[in-house]
Order: sequence, then C-alpha cells, then structure tokens
Amino acid sequence: MKYLSKILAILLAVSVWPSAAFAQERTATKQGFELTPNSGKKILVFRPTVKVGAQSTGGLFEPNAQWTDDARKHLSNALRARKATLGNEVIFAPEPVGDDAIVLQEHMALFSAVSSAVIQYQFFAGNRLPTKKQDNKNDVFDWSIGDQVATLPGARDADYGLFIYNEDQFGSTGRKLLQVVALLGPRISVKSGEHRGYAALIDLKTGDVLWLNADSAMGGDVRDAEGATKRVSQLLEGIPGAALTASAK
Amino acid sequence: MKKLVASICLITSCGTSIKAEPLPTLPPYAGVYQPKGVDEIGLWQEDDEDERALRDSSVIIRDEKLTAYLKEVLCRTVGPERCESVRIYVLKESVFNASMSPNGTMRIFTGLLLRCRNEAELAAVLGHEFGHFEQRHTLKEFKKKRSATDALSWAAVLAAAASTYQGNSSYSDLRYSVYGELYRYNRDQEREADRLGVAYLNRSDLRPQAASEIWVNQMAEITVSSQAKGFKKPQFNKVAYTASHPPHLERAATMAALALPEGNSRDDGHIRYQNAIRPWLAQFLDDQIKVGDFGASEYIITSLAQSGWTSDLWHARGELFRLRGNPRDHVNAVDFYRAAIALDPLKAESYRGQGLSLMKTGQRAEAATAFNRFLELKPDSQDASMVKMLLQSLAEVKS
Repeated sequence: MKYLSKILAILLAVSVWPSAAFAQERTATKQGFELTPNSGKKILVFRPTVKVGAQSTGGLFEPNAQWTDDARKHLSNALRARKATLGNEVIFAPEPVGDDAIVLQEHMALFSAVSSAVIQYQFFAGNRLPTKKQDNKNDVFDWSIGDQVATLPGARDADYGLFIYNEDQFGSTGRKLLQVVALLGPRISVKSGEHRGYAALIDLKTGDVLWLNADSAMGGDVRDAEGATKRVSQLLEGIPGAALTASAK
Repeated sequence: MKKLVASICLITSCGTSIKAEPLPTLPPYAGVYQPKGVDEIGLWQEDDEDERALRDSSVIIRDEKLTAYLKEVLCRTVGPERCESVRIYVLKESVFNASMSPNGTMRIFTGLLLRCRNEAELAAVLGHEFGHFEQRHTLKEFKKKRSATDALSWAAVLAAAASTYQGNSSYSDLRYSVYGELYRYNRDQEREADRLGVAYLNRSDLRPQAASEIWVNQMAEITVSSQAKGFKKPQFNKVAYTASHPPHLERAATMAALALPEGNSRDDGHIRYQNAIRPWLAQFLDDQIKVGDFGASEYIITSLAQSGWTSDLWHARGELFRLRGNPRDHVNAVDFYRAAIALDPLKAESYRGQGLSLMKTGQRAEAATAFNRFLELKPDSQDASMVKMLLQSLAEVKS
C-alpha cells in the first residue's frame, strides 16, 4: 500500500525534469483586506511544518533530522525577531492536548488541503481551474476554512492566524554532478534541490484566507541563523501590515 | 466456496517443497532500539512528525480498553520486552490491513479487527508487522530505492548522451529490470515478515496455524466478492510485476508449513477476541456495509454468524440488503430486520430499517407501525424528524 505512492514518486523523480521557466512565486490578498501597521492586532503563529533534507542523485528526498531541528530552531528565532517589523503583535500558538488537539489537527489538515488547492488551481499555470482563471482576471481571492477556527486553542486572544510550510531538499553532490554531466553531455536540464514553501494569514473569526504567499524557489539556507532570517523575510514578503518588507532576493 | 477452502487446505497441509525449509528463528533481542546514522535518524524524525498528526487525528478510535487489549495481544505474541517499543493506533477504516512504521507506530485498521476470527489470527498479523519493525525494513527499502534510482538516473543521462537506438533500448530494458527488482525486494521483505510472524507465534502460547488460516479466509472472501460482482475467478498464485506482497496462496501455504505442528492444540483465544470486539462490532459492520462490496460484506456477516446469529448480525444483514436496494432486496431485508427484532425487541434501528424497506415494498400500514415503534424507542434520535416526515407522507398517500 505505502509502496505504490513511493514508486510513483520515483517514476516522477527519475524522469529528468526540465527546470521551471514559469513564475515560481505568487502572492494574493483577499479583496478589501487591509491591515495597517501598528493597529494593535494580534497574529497567532501555528506550529510551522518544517522538512529539511537532501535530494539524492535519483531525486529522492532524504530526510535529515539534524538539519530539520536546526531549521525549526532558526526559523522560529527569525520569526520572533520579525515581531518588530511585522507591525503587529505576534504570539505563538500553545500546543494543546485532548479534544483541543484533535480540533487543531483537523484544521491543520484542512488548511493544508485548501492551500494546496490555491497553489495548484489558482496560482500557477498548468492546472488552473477555469473559474479560478476568471477570479485571477477579476482580482478575486476568495477561500475560507470556515468559522470553526474561532474555537481553536489560542484563537480567542488573537485576530489572525499565520500558517507556515517550509520544505528544503538540498541537492546532494551526486545530484549536482548529474546536473553538470547532463547539461554538458546530452544538454538535458536536471533540477538540483527543491526549496519551496508558503505562508498564509487567516481571519480567526471567519476562517477566510486573507493573504497567501507561495514560493517554489526560495533563497536562504535555513540550516543557519542568517539564512533562516532571509527565508522568513521571503516567506512573509508582502504580508499586509508589515512596516517594511525586507526583500532579500 | 467450501471447495475452494478445501483445496487450499489440501495445499497448505501437504506443501512438500516448503516443508523442507527450517523453522524460522528470532533475531536476538538487543534492548530498546534507537535509530543510528543520518538516514535512519531522518526517517524516524519524519515518522515522529507523522505520529504527532496521527495521535491527534479524528480517524483514530480512542477506546483505551480496546487499545490495551490489542497491546496485550501484541505483547503475548512478541514478548513483553519487544512490545514496549510499539504504540498502537486503531484507524476507522474498513480495509483488511495493518502497518508499522520505522519509529514503532503501529496502525491497525478496523477492517482487520472485523475480519480476524480469533486472537491467534490477530496475533499473526501483529507479529508480521512487528517483524517489519524489528528488521528495520523501511530503512533497508529506502536505501535500496535510493541506489536503484541513482543508478537509473546516470543510465538515463548516459543513454541520452549516446543517443543511439541501442543505447535507448538498453536503458529501457535496464529500467524495467531495476523496477522489477525493487518490487521483488518488497515482496521478499513481506516474506521475511511472514516468517518472523510465524516464529513469534510458535514461541507464544497461541495457535500458530492461525497465521495461514487468516489468508485462507481472506481468499474465500475475495472469491465471494468477485463472484457477486460477476468478475472472473481471482487467481491466488500469480505474481504481478508490481505486486507489493507475495500471492495469497503462497503465504497461506508457507505459513502453514512453518507453524509448529505441536502448536495446533493450543488455544486460539476465540472467546476472548469476540468479547473484546463486541462493543464495536455493530459499528465495524456498519462501516463495512458502506464500502459497497456486497459479496464481501455478506461473507463477513455469515462467517461471524457461524458462532450464532445475534441481533447485530441480523440487523447488519438487513442494512446490507436494504442499501443495495433492489425490490427483491427489500423483501429479504424486512425478514432480516424482523429476525433482529425477535432477538432484541428494543433494537430501534431495526424498526427504522424495517419501516424504510416496507415502504419500498408498498406495505404502508406496516411501515407506519415500524416507524412509530422507532420513534417510541428513540424519540431524540438524529433521524427522528426525518422519520416523522416519512410518517406524514405515508398518511397523506392513504387519505
């Protein structure tokens, strides 16, 4: 059972990828949403999803626990440091137990489904739904995960929720070598490394997605403090209410 | 059906080539295991994250008594030291499966609990899963897959560089053999886990022959299910290129041959198992019926009824026929609900089902009686207002 999906992943990974020439980054804000700096609003940060590892020659993800731990620590420190420039108060969500934990887990899963729908069906070319193409033309960004978010632990004391997803696959030496040989020899372009992620702001009263920024080619090495700071500024690029958007691209 | 089971039993009891294999032995137990090396530590951490989500997931059945019982069976099977490294989660899912991941997370699907007929059969599956864990199969498979895809990537680039017909065709051959080898490796891991599963059972106080019987029973279920769908007779001895497991017939025969013959007189824990599952049986049956596999559900219900029909079983059979919903099914369903009510006159859901089926067969007065009885027994049920509406429509038609 578990193997089928893995084998499919291999099939995908082995077929040599052309590097994406189209847009890799996109941001959208819900129409009419504005967050002025220093308006005294509170932003609740949910436990970010952080995956860091290497990419094997054949393109498999090789999870690395040390890198993931380092990245989690550095990203979280960088977020704390951004408090001052985010323009509004940032608080970290408590880790609940019991029934609260179940409700939170359901919402995390739901949000993950909604955000991948936004990224796949509205943001990037290739798989856009006709209705979402129309939305893009009319500058409509209308997604919600429902007003049950108001019951999430910590939601009562905050106005907005911030979700963060970050995945890094650093190209291994073998992958880089393959990339060079493939380019010099048969002129095939092989992509080495994947650095993608998104950040999203939701309204903790209505569940509406207010802002979402997705980037499939981010910079900054999350394994050290400096790189993590750069990464956080890219993840939060264009977040409403930020006093200054320090683009580090 | 009996013929099938008989023929399989014949094979399993006289599997000549397999008997020659020595009985499997267990690896020495070296204390609680901690991951070693960057790959394994990485896999465990990924798995820890998955387990966090699983622990808080709404698909988990949080019944401490049931989970404790399953843990107890695992401990009886693999021994009290080994089983301490496992956390068991029961997932609401009507499939015949269980799985084990690198860090000691064991997932047991409710479809497995519904299909096991005794403790020894359950123990055989849990032992098999634990075998995957003890032999660190996920890590080995990951490494195997990585080296295979590494080699294939180089081959792809080289073949493209050579760019000849010969080069491309060799690459294509290589690809099929490498993938085939990966699938075969997978099946060999399953074979190893099967052998370990029987080895644990042989050493425990449960009947090791159950490890084979669960597959014999599974083949019978699949046969009935295909017959009901009008499919060709399933083949249990063929290995498909992408098969993840060895064929059922091979597994049944191997495990029968490896089971300790003197263990055959041991207890299989039938009564203990039935008692532990009883509180959930109605729910598991309901979930199974909603899968929409008529043959399989009918097979499961009638198998369970071999140790006596209960109101739950009659009710489930009524639901199964009513939900298939042909006019002839409703006639049968009414009878089955009636049998359920005969055993338990307070079974409100059976009155509801009976009412619905009676409506469909045009017996309006009797349908109204059944609905009224349902409302008497369960006035606060979620369905109460819908049933009241149906009652009203029955009255309107009459007038």
